[in-house]
Amino acid sequence: MIEKQKNRRWRGASYFIALTLMIPVLVMLYAGINASNELFIHLWQTVLPDYIANTLILGVFVVLLSVIFGVISAAVIVHTNVVGKNALRWLLMLPLAMPAYLVAYLYTDMFDYAGPVQRALRAWFSWQSPSDYWFFDIRTLGGASVVIALVLFPYVYMLARTAFEQQDQNLLRASRLLGLSAKQSFYKVALPLARPAIAIAASLVLMETLADFATVQYFAVNTLTTAIYDTWLGYNDLASANALASILMLFILFAVVSEQRARAGQTYQSERPNKNHQLIKLTMIQQLFASGFCWLLVIAGFILPFILLLFMAWQYSNIAQLQALLPTGINSIKIAVWAASLTTFFALLLVLFQRLSHDRWRALPMNISGFGYAIPGTVLAMAMLATFAPIDHAINDVAKYFSLPTPGLVLSGSIFAIIFAYVVRFAAIANGTIDSGIKQIPKSIDYAPASLGVGLFTMLRKIHLPLLKSSIFVAWLLVFVEAMKELPAVLLLRPFNFETLSTQVYQLISDEMLEQGALGAILIVLLGLLPIIWLNRAKTGNGEEEV
Amino acid sequence: MKKRNSNQLEIKKLCVSLQGNDILSEVNLSLASGDILGLVGPSGCGKSTLLNTIAGFINQSHGELIVGVLGVGEHDDGELLIITPEHNVAPEHRNIGMIFQDYALFPHLTVEQNIIFGINKLSKRVQQSRLKNLMHLLKLTNLEARFPHQLSGGQQQRVAIARALAPQPKLLLLDEPFSNIDARLRNELMLEMRQLLKNLNISAIFVTHNKDEVFTFADKIAVMHQGHILQSGCPAAVCQQPNNWQVADFLQLGSWLPVKQISSTQFQSALGKINISKEGKRDTALQQLLLKPQYIELSQLSGSAQGKVNVRVDNISVTEQGYHYLLSSLVVDELAFDQLSFYSNELFSLGQTLMLVIKEHKFVMFIPTTIQAAG
Repeated sequence: MIEKQKNRRWRGASYFIALTLMIPVLVMLYAGINASNELFIHLWQTVLPDYIANTLILGVFVVLLSVIFGVISAAVIVHTNVVGKNALRWLLMLPLAMPAYLVAYLYTDMFDYAGPVQRALRAWFSWQSPSDYWFFDIRTLGGASVVIALVLFPYVYMLARTAFEQQDQNLLRASRLLGLSAKQSFYKVALPLARPAIAIAASLVLMETLADFATVQYFAVNTLTTAIYDTWLGYNDLASANALASILMLFILFAVVSEQRARAGQTYQSERPNKNHQLIKLTMIQQLFASGFCWLLVIAGFILPFILLLFMAWQYSNIAQLQALLPTGINSIKIAVWAASLTTFFALLLVLFQRLSHDRWRALPMNISGFGYAIPGTVLAMAMLATFAPIDHAINDVAKYFSLPTPGLVLSGSIFAIIFAYVVRFAAIANGTIDSGIKQIPKSIDYAPASLGVGLFTMLRKIHLPLLKSSIFVAWLLVFVEAMKELPAVLLLRPFNFETLSTQVYQLISDEMLEQGALGAILIVLLGLLPIIWLNRAKTGNGEEEV
Repeated sequence: MKKRNSNQLEIKKLCVSLQGNDILSEVNLSLASGDILGLVGPSGCGKSTLLNTIAGFINQSHGELIVGVLGVGEHDDGELLIITPEHNVAPEHRNIGMIFQDYALFPHLTVEQNIIFGINKLSKRVQQSRLKNLMHLLKLTNLEARFPHQLSGGQQQRVAIARALAPQPKLLLLDEPFSNIDARLRNELMLEMRQLLKNLNISAIFVTHNKDEVFTFADKIAVMHQGHILQSGCPAAVCQQPNNWQVADFLQLGSWLPVKQISSTQFQSALGKINISKEGKRDTALQQLLLKPQYIELSQLSGSAQGKVNVRVDNISVTEQGYHYLLSSLVVDELAFDQLSFYSNELFSLGQTLMLVIKEHKFVMFIPTTIQAAG
């Protein structure tokens, strides 16, 4: 436990970190709210209604599709004897590693007029022109919804699956004895009980959808994120971009609140749940449909795009491309290492403060700093610009006043802003990982060293840090991977001529030349697989019986 | 496959194997209408498996289950459902009620919704009248709108009982129903529940590993061990005349005293010679005599010059029946024992030596692990 003086210092440091991380977002919101009325009226009269409508429709479609994909696949895996369930169980998580914009690009390539699918159909049926047949257009709001849902549904799948697996099977048994068939029991008991978990997952999907930038931009669907990007980079209008980002922030706030409410609803848990699942035996036809549905999701969300990428890499890769990968790779690694190290260090400080301090509100700094996970990269980028651009201007003005050489945009125009944005966005990941690690250490361990005459820092060095080693490593790795993949914040904040792996791949996609960056894209996907492997590590061994 | 029968449940040569292991072997059991059967045995003996097989959650590999399907309509009184490995019946069609150890109340439904869960196909009028009756019977009035987590343990158990009774099953299964209840409340609830089942003429099987619960709650007892039923009958008869060493041992009917036959009517023990009234076959093997505390007394000669001490006090505790002593023998040969239970109102000290004698009674003795009674 911390003595008074050390506690005061630690508290100071904790609140300082937490508030510093939050200040840019507050500055942006302040600027957004104080934006002139004319500006809002102008936006409202021109583009805003369309942007908001598109954003909302996209959100609703993606959430609906993800819930349908995720809940059905989770139910099939947990409650039936579907063939190949051991493989499908983790394969269904893989689409999470696939950035939606890559799928968007690859599927457009495949399904548009000049793509292999339509070419084959025309050859097969001897059609001559587009007027001879109907084919869906993937570059629409609907297409974007399907593509985004294909890579986000694993959130729903994972949370619903865990909820189904953790349910006390005696509840289902009780409902059977009260006259319900196995299927009726699922609809009337298992599904309603999993509702809070599904709601949490739906809120997460909504947050990710609202944050998506590259997919909608590629499909030319105008949403709030693309509007922010265009307003700032296209028209250099910081005030309008701030206002749009503030509006998007309100939507995000709605998603966060609904997530918190859903979490509060998760109160049911038996003390000793019976985990012996009684599997619904599927008929031949049902087997076909159930496994077909799951495999379709895995193939469409991961296997097919990944094969297409490998194929591209095989066909077009050469030494020059590999060499071009090197500097951008180094850039990516540089900012990811900085972001991961800082985020993990701050998380450690905040988690240990929460654990060891006597303060009543000791969890507050950690909770405040975790708020950034919900904020889209585009909004964070605007927050950095709103906060640091004026400071940069002030620095330059002062330099000019003293006739010194002007340093330029040292804060808003350097990798400082990118790393700052990353730390804000990924703090929650590191906090959560280290916090769950420290919860494994019994509280009595905190008291034992003092009873043996050992001081606070010796205790941390000799006891807590060694015990937390693996959590710290995992936290670092998860943030590193997320930072390597992040796109919209870097796009808005990167210094001139500064490319990372993701911006390079995105640039090539925009120029319809992904072939040139297929290797980079594969690397991004492989990095995305790391957290999934980590998530999959604690595969629960449940008893199952067939009925 | 329906025919007439007077029993509510009949189990014939029932076998269950799970993942290649035989969990139940050749179990035979019958339960008359309105009877309460207590199923006891050590952990892992197959009690819960038997209950789950009757309920239909586990399929039998051999044997027959004959279940009464009385209830839903009065017209089918006396008709029975025969369940075999070839002719399985889903749990929802067996008309069996069950109360789970943790009650398994649906946490997302109110008390009222929980209770009418199994009867929602009946008319609203019937639903409401049954609900009202059960709420009254189980003293749950005014709790309709509460959720399970807002109830005390005892109230939760009452809701579970009401829910199980709502479809009016004629057979109720109870899986350690009292294990989560505070010890002081337990006896009261057991008596209440027994009265309720008797009033409604519901047959019940309940599983427990607590022998005291059986004696309070059951009309009939069945002792299980390693997938077999060792003995079944009324509790008093089983206590008086356990047919097996494991039965007596599990029910803790007394202490074990090693004895050796020295003539056709006499046995030697560390507490002296024992005379049996009936002549039996002579067996030289060491046997164990089941010795209940009430059959041991302090010798008149204890403390006198002629008295020869034979036990030493190893442990003393205070109980409502006086001081409880654990004694060990002074001899150290094959007839030696320890942990012999003895009650007395007189206070002795630790390490004190005493002279005990065995009263005349109907002796029960076994050669451990085999079944043999002598009297």
